[in-house]
Amino acid sequence: MLSSSLINEIQKILGKENVFTTLEERLCYGYDSTPEAFLPDLVIRPTCTEQIQKILKLANLHLFPVIPRGAGTGLSGGSLPVKGGVILDLNRMDRILEIDEENLVATVEPGVITAHLQEEVEKRGLFYPPDPASLKTSTIGGNVAECAGGPRAFKYGVTRDYVLGLEIVTPKGEILQTGGKTVKSVTGYDLTRLYTGSEGTLGIITKIILRLIPKPEAKKTMMIVYERLDDAAKTVTLIIKQGIIPVTLELMDDITMRCVENYLQLGLPLDAEAVLIIEVDGPIDLVEKQINQVGELSRANGAREVKIAKNEKEREEIWAARRAVSAAVVQIKPTKISEDIAVPRSQIPVMVRRLKEIAFRYQLNLAIFGHAGDGNLHPNILCDKNDSEEMERVEKAIGELFQAAVELGGTLSGEHGIGTMKAPYLKLETGEVGFEVMRAIKKALDPNNILNPGKIFGSG
Amino acid sequence: MNNLAKTTAYLNRCSKCGSCQAVCPLYGETKTEPYVARGKLFLLKSHLEGKLPLSSKMKEIMSLCLLCKACVEQCPNSIPVDRMILAARQEIAREKSISFVKKNIFQHLLKNNGRLTLAAQLGYFYQRAGLQWLVRKSRILEVFRGELAQKEHLLPKMAKHPFRKQVPRLFTCSRPKLRVAYYTGCLTNFVYHATGYAVINVLRNHELEVLIPEQWCCGIPALAGGDEKTAIELARKNIDVFQKAGVDVVITDCASCGSMLKEYADLVETPEARAFAAKVLDFSQFLSEAVSFHAGENEIPGLVTYHDPCHLKRGQGVSGAPRKLIKMVPGLAFKEMKESDRCCGAAGSFNLTYHNLATKIGRRKVQNIQQTCADLVITGCPSCIMQLRHVLELEKSPVRVLHLAELLSMTYPSRKANKERGANKTKSRRGRC
Ligand SMILES: Cc1cc2nc3c(=O)[nH]c(=O)nc-3n(C[C@H](O)[C@H](O)[C@H](O)COP(=O)(O)OP(=O)(O)OC[C@H]3O[C@@H](n4cnc5c(N)ncnc54)[C@H](O)[C@@H]3O)c2cc1C
Repeated sequence: MLSSSLINEIQKILGKENVFTTLEERLCYGYDSTPEAFLPDLVIRPTCTEQIQKILKLANLHLFPVIPRGAGTGLSGGSLPVKGGVILDLNRMDRILEIDEENLVATVEPGVITAHLQEEVEKRGLFYPPDPASLKTSTIGGNVAECAGGPRAFKYGVTRDYVLGLEIVTPKGEILQTGGKTVKSVTGYDLTRLYTGSEGTLGIITKIILRLIPKPEAKKTMMIVYERLDDAAKTVTLIIKQGIIPVTLELMDDITMRCVENYLQLGLPLDAEAVLIIEVDGPIDLVEKQINQVGELSRANGAREVKIAKNEKEREEIWAARRAVSAAVVQIKPTKISEDIAVPRSQIPVMVRRLKEIAFRYQLNLAIFGHAGDGNLHPNILCDKNDSEEMERVEKAIGELFQAAVELGGTLSGEHGIGTMKAPYLKLETGEVGFEVMRAIKKALDPNNILNPGKIFGSG
Repeated sequence: MNNLAKTTAYLNRCSKCGSCQAVCPLYGETKTEPYVARGKLFLLKSHLEGKLPLSSKMKEIMSLCLLCKACVEQCPNSIPVDRMILAARQEIAREKSISFVKKNIFQHLLKNNGRLTLAAQLGYFYQRAGLQWLVRKSRILEVFRGELAQKEHLLPKMAKHPFRKQVPRLFTCSRPKLRVAYYTGCLTNFVYHATGYAVINVLRNHELEVLIPEQWCCGIPALAGGDEKTAIELARKNIDVFQKAGVDVVITDCASCGSMLKEYADLVETPEARAFAAKVLDFSQFLSEAVSFHAGENEIPGLVTYHDPCHLKRGQGVSGAPRKLIKMVPGLAFKEMKESDRCCGAAGSFNLTYHNLATKIGRRKVQNIQQTCADLVITGCPSCIMQLRHVLELEKSPVRVLHLAELLSMTYPSRKANKERGANKTKSRRGRC
């Protein structure tokens, strides 16, 4: 609990209207898109870097936790105030400071909504590729802090590949500038990369310099239905071998399709094992040629149906199906545990089979979808968090699916981060040494454990 | 079990994905989580779990909703957020009791046409004579807090006598195709007579017999304020009247009234209510689906855009019909605006209660209107018309706002409706940019 004199002091820094104290308001900042929720002691809404500096200095003096929060769409519990403390809401810092068309660089504040930035740069013929399915709500700050990816990652990479520089308020309240407007930079440690994906544990991101690229001339989208999952996986490998790099190679399994169909009624097949959504982009002639090549390849490899979108409306329909997935699966059961493993691409069929086998053994509802191009799968366990017996089975299943991913040479999290949800399993992948190196970094930068305690390393 | 407790199953369906943030006009302006559906649902859940009382803060948060249904449309799990907010308001009203003045309005004014007319006439005299004390005495504006001067500007000019007292009860027709009843809604009845005349004029150009029975407020102000009992009473009265009138169709010119009338089936749950609700059609829906609409010959030069009222597009699923009709007007060019279905901020009396916030929401709408360069905005809800005119005026914009009926009516050779409106006011230039 914060004393009333401390709250007074905070109100003086930010203005009373930017400090939420009521139970009702605080409750609304204690959750994200995971099933969990906690109660922060206070919610503050700064509008500039200086205010954040003052707050962090105060936090080190009085030792209260500070938890940065963007749109609260995180899927690993990153913005949850697990130890109470002050939620630092960054949505008020939402200006696009500059779009530098000559150097292909944008400078933004952390609260800018991802889709808004994309709209603005695309108006100028430019392109910011990272496209998490939550892009209409998520903030750029949250994207950088989680190193968000998206369907386009296979061709264009993830958030990390576009962050050139950052302004950070360190846990002690100092200002750190990393990187800059140049694509090349090797002056000392790569702090920009360290902070990208740091989940709000090492500093507050207050300014972001992003790399832009020219907008591709054209794109074409198709949906391919497979009777058998293995055929889908085989097609993916063959496409890449032919030298075609699609922007996206999205995979949905049968259960996922059923949920989406139930919600959108798009006429998705309900008896097929898998659907691939493939998009190619680039110069207009090349795109035509490649989409047809992909069509032929898939037909030759067991595809039941190949549907190429003829216009923007059909394209939107295909994407509507994919975008709806993450949220539509909760129709089965109210609680969604959304996992985020990634395996080497060739291991996808093996991984999917192991996942289904685990779900069967623990009698759980499991929907699998993900990014087949980069091996990043989202197995979603649908359960009911009020059913403690079921939740025990869920716990065990999660342990096994992480184990399986690591055994196949993969990772616990492709893009959602560790947060609280995966903290108990971190060592599975990092090993003892990796874990200690990371913890040493955290301790060196944040000796009082002010920023986002309880994340990544668990209750340390 | 109260109506709120019945919503638990819906609450459990919220995955907290936050999709509602992208479309909520209140969140767009405030970026404040308690105001978006996800926050409100979480609070209601906490309340039903016994962790949170229905405090005055809860009351404030629940009243901060436009009921525009944008989140409902966006929600991957189709949670009927607006209905849940209504249930919450009802529960809060029951526990905390509605403010004295609001209660008086809902339970006495709305249920009594004589008193409602009197109140409207007081409003008329107030505006004519600037008799501030009268308003203070009649306590109309007291329901709403703060910013009195601006709110008075928002209130349009009241008519001296109600519309329904000025027109015959029945417009006959030699060989009518259908017998239709016209539900005028309070704003047409007390403020926007031009809309009323225009509706009648358009209908009379289609070989219809038009009946305007005595009728009551649809009940939506009471329901939105948490007074379901009064809303049901009003519904019963209206159902009764229109059943006795023996008509084929009930036409509304107000999106909010229309969506409310259609909801009578769920609200009252009798066979009569269902039969009545099935007969209700929005003016535009009726013209494009039930009769084959033909415009008159008068050319209306100009560039026009269309604003989708929330209660028409999402409330009644009507968005194609008005556009189709507009495009049939000779001489007129049509241009779609960005975010045409984003709430304008009117939302019943929301713009009176939270004037500053409503104006911010309205400004975004006005910007989108201005980007089209249109010189005319058409819409299908008098409450939107009031808000759009208000904000356009604040922005010193010359763009005019008309009800769809007024536009269509202008295409016919002059009758009363045209005199009212002054059809020749529209400039001959196309667009303003
Ligand atoms: C329906 C749905 C679909 C999704 N799809 C994808 C997807 O395709 N790909 C993907 O990668 N993710 C996806 N996500 C997860 C989520 O949207 C991303 O992790 C996103 O980057 C989070 O952004 P946010 O603004 O909501 O951050 P929050 O959830 O508010 O915060 C996330 C983390 O970032 C920290 N943080 C936020 N802002 C700052 C800052 N300025 N400085 C320092 N730390 C900060 C927080 O402390 C927290 O640890 C999805 C989520 C949902 C609900």
